[in-house]
Amino acid sequence: MRYRLDLTLRHSEGALTRVLGTTERRGFRPLSVEGDTQSDGDRWHLQMTVEGDRPGESLLQQLNKLYDCLDVQVQPCS
Amino acid sequence: MNGARWLVQALRAEGVDTLFGYPGGAIMPFYDALHGSSLKHVLVRHEQGAAFAANGYARASGRVGVCVATSGPGASNLITGIADAMLDSVPMVCITGQVGTPLMGTDAFQELDVFGMTMAIVKHNFLPRSVDDLPRVVAEAFRLARSGRPGPVLIDLPKDVQVADASHLPAHVPAEVDPVPQPSEPALHAALAQLALAQKPLIYGGGGIALGDAVDAFREFVEASQIPAVLTLKGLGALQDDHPLNLGMLGMHGSRAANLAVQACDLLFAVGARFDDRATGKLAEFAPHARVVHLDIDACELGKLRFADAPVAGDIATGMRRMQAAAAAHLHGRHGPARLAWRDACTAVKAKTAPRYDAPGDGVYAPSLLRRLSALAPDAVVACDVGQHQMWVAQHWAFDHPRRHLTSGALGAMGFGLPAAIGAQMQDPSAQVICVSGDGSFLMNVQELATLSRYRLPVKIVLLDNQALGMVRQWQELFFERRYSEIDLSDNPDFCALAQAFGIEALHVDRAADVDTALETLLAAPGPALLHVAIDQNANVWPLVPPNRNNAEMMDEGGDADEATRLVAADDPDIAALQAAAAQPVARRAHVPQAVSAQAAPASASTQTYTGDAAPVPAFAPSPRIPS
Repeated sequence: MRYRLDLTLRHSEGALTRVLGTTERRGFRPLSVEGDTQSDGDRWHLQMTVEGDRPGESLLQQLNKLYDCLDVQVQPCS
Repeated sequence: MNGARWLVQALRAEGVDTLFGYPGGAIMPFYDALHGSSLKHVLVRHEQGAAFAANGYARASGRVGVCVATSGPGASNLITGIADAMLDSVPMVCITGQVGTPLMGTDAFQELDVFGMTMAIVKHNFLPRSVDDLPRVVAEAFRLARSGRPGPVLIDLPKDVQVADASHLPAHVPAEVDPVPQPSEPALHAALAQLALAQKPLIYGGGGIALGDAVDAFREFVEASQIPAVLTLKGLGALQDDHPLNLGMLGMHGSRAANLAVQACDLLFAVGARFDDRATGKLAEFAPHARVVHLDIDACELGKLRFADAPVAGDIATGMRRMQAAAAAHLHGRHGPARLAWRDACTAVKAKTAPRYDAPGDGVYAPSLLRRLSALAPDAVVACDVGQHQMWVAQHWAFDHPRRHLTSGALGAMGFGLPAAIGAQMQDPSAQVICVSGDGSFLMNVQELATLSRYRLPVKIVLLDNQALGMVRQWQELFFERRYSEIDLSDNPDFCALAQAFGIEALHVDRAADVDTALETLLAAPGPALLHVAIDQNANVWPLVPPNRNNAEMMDEGGDADEATRLVAADDPDIAALQAAAAQPVARRAHVPQAVSAQAAPASASTQTYTGDAAPVPAFAPSPRIPS
């Protein structure tokens, strides 16, 4: 199943690595990653598409626990 | 005032009184600042010992344990102890020196990307590149370590930040711990609705009970509801060992009564437990007749491995207290008589399947020795290593509080015991601290005998020596056709001479008749002491749920893995009844969210948006690279 993730992260050292590492370690394969810090310099805005057999809810909860993750939304997508 | 001196003052402000560490190049400014400070630094003899000692300090006290190491090998040596804290939710702050920021990324001497290396085994880590970052980083590190589900936080501290002028920084002010999330009314209501339907409810209590300071609330709930309880390895002591409703530990080496009750119950109330594979056995057949109520502070655990009919995210103590009166009232409801009959059936099986300690022969029977020591030192804090002796401690020690049982649960890290015992003794010099180890585990951090000796800590070591890696040997015997591969330790050193070389009193016992005297002599020793116990290499841990079997399929001594394993004589009517209930065909749907379908996911306890089965939204254009 595929999911679309919309994340807002602190623009701090390691934030991107943490998100990608958590995503993969918790059983999801990133298919696309796109993001920028243009609108406000102290935030990353990241969009990802991932696929995995586990519920998107579990990834949402794990990402939500990351200190650098200020907001995350997960939606199924085709 | 430089960054290092500011940090020492900040640690004091955070309430730190003891550090465990080992100096080296990149952390030298910090050690210079420590010199003459009021912080007590315990010099270990290997950085892994520092991490485990801080870990044991934190487990026994509930306070944040702090360890320190230099960059490179010093930091990498901490890693196992940090990982252990992560997996068992132990609050720690770990400080590592780092090469100066101009040298970072140049493969400098003793430079390692510790920040990157530890990312997967910490709750969070920080790399302050400016001294101005220190106030925020230190406050956040301690706040995070303590808040919610506790865990380790690492600060990788470049050397130039340590020596930078910090005279302009304000005095450190600790951050408030996050408010404890409270269970919602609808979730509690749903949980009580499930409980009200149950005729055969069972509580499955885990390490979260102690972490949430919920031991009293848990005991009061059990007492009021009269629901029998099984406990995980880390939950042991949450209910008094001799409490009638305590059926013991569940899982691979769980008690017969606990495992049969789990498999027969119609409602499983998981409290601060996480459905670990060593507890559940074959997950798809775990508690097959049960609906699940799951109370945990960490919403990630709800529905992770087992669908929860009623997930409750939030503080365990509050949840237990808020549900107590209604759960007690259920006893007077329509299922009251069935509840009491179930309770009595469980306690009858517990009585009839209790361990026996009258092993034949003249040799020392380890379970019997541990039971005896438990009676002689009922208030002791016990730090275990990992292996057969760890399971014997779990099965046979009468724990009355979870913080008296320090064990590497999730990571299963050999070498944990001795340094954890040192940490536990440092946090309470008056405590009776006992390290139970095996001959394999003990040599993994044997250098900490020097620490024990230097500080004259009165830790008592019980070394159960079967001249083998016993747990591996047991598995090779049972599941690998007795092909014993690399488990022989018959060339062990003379452990008594070894201890004495460190200035530690030592004695030896190898006959059952001498055990009482040996234990009394050990406990009477004023300082550190080691009791070397020779045990039978063929002694195994029983019962045992073989891999990929359900928890009712327990092997006992002489059992055969292939025939698995109705262990107990079924001619006893109480036991047979519980076995029959466990073995009934499962009428309901599959309970495991078949690791896992989206449809099986529980309702979100988060405030974040989750649309579940809503109409799919179009995928956006894929991008193969992370933008720079």
